[in-house]
Amino acid sequence: MKEYVLLLFLALCSAKPLIGPSYFTLKNVMLQDMEDEDEEDEDDNSLFPTTEPLIPFDFFSICPFGCQCYLRVVHCSDLGLTSIPRNIPPDTRMIDLQNNKIREVKENDLQGLTSLYALALNNNKISKIHPKAFLPTKKLRRLYLSHNQLTEIPTNLPTSLAELRIHANKVKKIHKEAFKGMKSLHVLEMSANPLNNDGIEPGAFEGVNIYHIRIAEAKLTSIPKELPSSLLELHLDDNKITTIELEDFNRYKDLQRLGLGNNKIKDVENGSFANIPRVREIHLEKNKLKKVPPGLPNLKYLQVVFLHSNHIAKLGVNDFCPTGGRKKKALYSGISLFNNPVKYWEVQPSTFRCILARNSVQLTNFLK
Amino acid sequence: MKLALLFVLLLPVCLAKPFHQKGLFDFMLEDEGSADLPPTEDPVISGYGPICPFRCQCHLRVVQCSDLGLDKVPKDLPPDTTLLDLQNNKITEIKEGDFKNLKNLHALILVNNKISKISPAAFAPLKKLERLYLSKNNLKELPENMPKSLQEIRAHENEISKLRKAVFNGLNQVIVLELGTNPLKSSGIENGAFQGMKKLSYIRIADTNITSIPKGLPPSLTELHLDGNKISKIDADSLSGLTNLAKLGLSFNSISSVENGSLNNVPHLRELHLNNNELPRVPGGLGDHKYIQVVYLHNNKIASIGINDFCPLGYNTKKATYSGVSLFSNPVQYWEIQPSAFRCIHERSAVQIGNYK
Repeated sequence: MKEYVLLLFLALCSAKPLIGPSYFTLKNVMLQDMEDEDEEDEDDNSLFPTTEPLIPFDFFSICPFGCQCYLRVVHCSDLGLTSIPRNIPPDTRMIDLQNNKIREVKENDLQGLTSLYALALNNNKISKIHPKAFLPTKKLRRLYLSHNQLTEIPTNLPTSLAELRIHANKVKKIHKEAFKGMKSLHVLEMSANPLNNDGIEPGAFEGVNIYHIRIAEAKLTSIPKELPSSLLELHLDDNKITTIELEDFNRYKDLQRLGLGNNKIKDVENGSFANIPRVREIHLEKNKLKKVPPGLPNLKYLQVVFLHSNHIAKLGVNDFCPTGGRKKKALYSGISLFNNPVKYWEVQPSTFRCILARNSVQLTNFLK
Repeated sequence: MKLALLFVLLLPVCLAKPFHQKGLFDFMLEDEGSADLPPTEDPVISGYGPICPFRCQCHLRVVQCSDLGLDKVPKDLPPDTTLLDLQNNKITEIKEGDFKNLKNLHALILVNNKISKISPAAFAPLKKLERLYLSKNNLKELPENMPKSLQEIRAHENEISKLRKAVFNGLNQVIVLELGTNPLKSSGIENGAFQGMKKLSYIRIADTNITSIPKGLPPSLTELHLDGNKISKIDADSLSGLTNLAKLGLSFNSISSVENGSLNNVPHLRELHLNNNELPRVPGGLGDHKYIQVVYLHNNKIASIGINDFCPLGYNTKKATYSGVSLFSNPVQYWEIQPSAFRCIHERSAVQIGNYK
C-alpha cells in the first residue's frame, strides 16, 4: 500500500547521520523527560498534592490502547476492533485500521482529523458509511475500503481523493454523483464487485481525471464507454465482455495499457484500435478470438500482445507488422500465441519481422 | 528519472527538519499524477525492460500489486523499488529468487495470501528491509534469516506454533513485533526467544493459547499486549527488568492472582488493562505506584475494595493522577466502597464503579 511511502520517507529521514525521532527514541525521550522530574522531587513530600498533575494524562495516552502512534501515523491493524477507536491524535496523517471487525463508519468517527492523508479500512465488515463521516477529512488522498460489505460507492467522499480502492465489496451501482468534484482522483480499483454495465449511471465519471481504472472480476458485458478520457490504464479482465466495438475506445485516446484477458471476446471490430494509437500493451488472452484482431500493425508503440488461449487457427503475414515504408516506433517484445489451434510450422517467419528478439514470440503449446 | 530526482530532492528537505515533515506528503502527492503521465515526445522505445508488471501500479518507487489474484511474486520488478505491496493475492510460496535485485526495498507487504513456505534465502537480497508484513497467511513458523535491518514484523493470523530464539537472533533493530491470533502455546516459545531484540518496544501476542507471560522480555519494552490468552496468574518474575514498560494489556485472560511485587517491577507503567479476568481483589502495589493512570478492572470477581488499594498511605506521593479506573461488573457494591479509597483521584469521572449490566 502506497501510504507506507510516508513511513519509508520518515524512516529515511531518521537515518544516520541525523538521528530523527524514531518510534523508539521518541518514547524514550518522553520517558527521559519524566524521569528528570522524578529525580527533582523525589524527596519532596509536600504537604499538599500539587494541583496540576506533573504529567498531563493526554501526553502519554493520546494513542488508543493497543495501537501504535508515531510520527503522525496511527497503526491499529489486527486488533479485533469493532469500531473506529476514539482518541486518535488530531494531527494524524495516516490511520491503519485494516484487518479488524469494524461494521460502520459513523458520523463522528473521523471528527477533528483534518490532517488525515491516508485511511486504510480494508478487511473489515463495513456495510455503512455515514454520509457526513468524511466531512472533516478535507485532505484525505488515499482511501482503502477493499474487502468490506459496501453495496455502492459511498456518497460524499472527500473531493481531495487521489486513490480509491473498493475491491471485493458488494458494489452494484455507481451513482451519477459518486465522484463529483474529485478532480485529482487518479487511481480507482473496484474489482471483484457484482457490477454490470447498467450499474454505472451515465455521467458518473464526468469531470474526473482517473489514470488507472480496474474493474476486473465483475459482470461487465461490454467495455464501458463513459469512463474518463484521461485513462492511461484500463483493466477489465475476468468479465463477460463478448465483443470490442468500433466506438468502444472513442474516449480513451491516451490509453497505454489495456487488460481484457479472460473474457468472452469473439470479435474485434475493424478500426477499434485506431482510437488508441499510443497503446503499448494489450492483453486478450483467454478469450474466443478466431483471428488476430485487426489494426495491430498501425499501433506504432505496441510492444506486448497477449493472445494465448484463444481459437486462432491461422496467422496472416501482415497481422502484426506494418507494410511498405511505415515503421514501428517500438518493436514487439512480447507476443504470446500458445494454446491456439494454429500450427507453428504454418506461420510464415516474416510475420514477425518487427520483433525485438527471437524470444519475443511465444508460439508453442507448452501445456501446463 | 523525474522520480529519482524528486527522491534526492526530498531527502535534504526532511533531513533538515526531522521534527516537522509539514508539506512532505503533499509534495509527494503533487507528483502522483505526473508520475503516471505519458511522455510528451514520441519516444522510440527499443527495449522492454522491467517497467512495471502488468496490472500493478508503479510510481515513486512504490509497486502496488494488491488484489490481483497473483499466485506468485511477479517477475521483473523495478530494481529501485522501495515498497512492494502484494497483499490480497493467492501467493503460496516465496521462492529463493523472488526478491533478487530488490536491495532498496524498505517495506514488503504480503498480508492475506496463502503463503506456507518461505525459502531460507528469499530475503537475503533485502539488505534494507525495515517492515515485513506477513499477516493472514499459512506460516507454521517465522522464517529464519530475516534481514537484520528489520524494524517491524507482523505475522498476525498465521499457523505459528513455535517461536525459536534462532529466528529472532541478531534482529537488533526490531521495534514492533505483532504475533496475535496464532495457535501458540507457552511451551512453543523458547526461553528468552525475544531477548536478543535490543530495541524491541512493542510486542503483541494476543488471542493465542499461551498460559503465562513469556519470560526474558527485553528491558526496552514499552508496550506488552497479551490480551485474549489463557494466562491464569501474573508472576512478579515475568515482569522483572521491564523498567520502561508503559502499557500492559492482559484483558480477557483467566488471571486470578497477581503476585505481590509485580507492579514494583514496572515502575513506569501508565496503563494496565486487567478487565475480563478472574481477579478476586485489586492487585497489590497500585497505591504505591507513582505513574499509573489507567487501571481497567471491570468484569472481574472483586468482592471488596480496601481503603489503600488505589491511593498511597499518608501523603500523596503520586506523580501522575488517575484518569481512568474501571470497576463495574464486579460483585462489589458501590455503597460498600469507602469514598476515601479514591482520595488521590481529583477527577470524579475518572472512576467508573456503577454496574451496568
